[in-house]
Amino acid sequence: MSTSDSKNSSATLRNVIFGVVLMFGGTYASVTNVVPGREALDKMGLELDFGMTFATIGVFLILFPMIKGFFLVPLQNAIQERNTNLERTFSEVEELKSEMQTLRADYEKRLAATEAEAREHIQSQIKEAQQLRATLIEEATAKTEALVSQAQSDIATERDQLIGELRSHVVELALGAATKIVGENMDSDKNRRMVDDFIAAAGVAS
Amino acid sequence: MEDLRVGRRYALALFETAHKFDVIASVEEDLNAIVALLERDDEFTSFLVSPYTSRDEKLQIIDKLFSDRITALTMQLLRLMLEKRRETDIIHVRDEFSQLRRKHEGVLHVHVTSAEELVAEQRTALLAKLSVLLDKKIEAEFDIDPLLIGGLKVAYDNNVMDGTARGALHKLRENLTYDLIKRVR
Repeated sequence: MSTSDSKNSSATLRNVIFGVVLMFGGTYASVTNVVPGREALDKMGLELDFGMTFATIGVFLILFPMIKGFFLVPLQNAIQERNTNLERTFSEVEELKSEMQTLRADYEKRLAATEAEAREHIQSQIKEAQQLRATLIEEATAKTEALVSQAQSDIATERDQLIGELRSHVVELALGAATKIVGENMDSDKNRRMVDDFIAAAGVAS
Repeated sequence: MEDLRVGRRYALALFETAHKFDVIASVEEDLNAIVALLERDDEFTSFLVSPYTSRDEKLQIIDKLFSDRITALTMQLLRLMLEKRRETDIIHVRDEFSQLRRKHEGVLHVHVTSAEELVAEQRTALLAKLSVLLDKKIEAEFDIDPLLIGGLKVAYDNNVMDGTARGALHKLRENLTYDLIKRVR
């Protein structure tokens, strides 16, 4: 028990004792009418009973600690507790707010980092896609050029082959006609001349 | 290939013997006559190569046919080939014998093909020309092939001298085709 509580207890006890004295003393004075001047006041129309007044004050002094003990202190404690709860709640709110701000800052930081990473990733993917696109276009161009070149070569070969076949056919036709003409124009005299020419030229040719 | 080798062995033995007895020409004439008969007479050829005719029977017939017509050496060759069942090689023996004889005499065999039959003067002039040109005695075999159109060609060993219209046209075709191929490329 603290010193202030001890002082309060002794003051309360003193007030109660004083109250009991006043109550009994005032009641006695009122009943016995020992207070002078009461009758004079009654005659003047003022019905004042000082004994009862002192007794009432004594009752009040007796009742006051009880009121204080059973009503005021619990009320004060309840108010205090409520204030304490409110303060704690506000404190918790402040803590939560601070924590939320910290979390928010972290979240924003992480969000920024994530956004930066995503942006970097997207840029990287875009760059890779562009490179792939360029490579694909290059390959497609090379393949197309090769196909075109091959097709041109095939066409040229086919054309040359057809021209060659056509010319060979023309040669065959021409030589067939020539053979027929030579055969039809050949007779014994011409054959004899051919043989003679061959014999004459045999030595020269070799 | 086996037949050629066998024919060559028989021909070599025959030629050496004929040369020893100086009957090369007679033996070659005999062989030519027998081969001519084989080429002309299918019945005789069938009889000679028939597996159903016994060797003795073949020998008896051959003796009757040729014993008084050909030299003893040729007759001996025929008997030997029949005994050894080499009657199908007689043509090869004749060919090899002729080659050995030509080689022995330094004669070159040429095969002359013409569109029409050559007259005697042409044949003589041709052989004289070839003899001078090839520096050898020439022995010629003449054939006629109307497909040559005109002129003649001479074949010997692995060489051909082509003076025919057909050959000229063929050469023209080759030249034109070669030119065309070159132009296309």
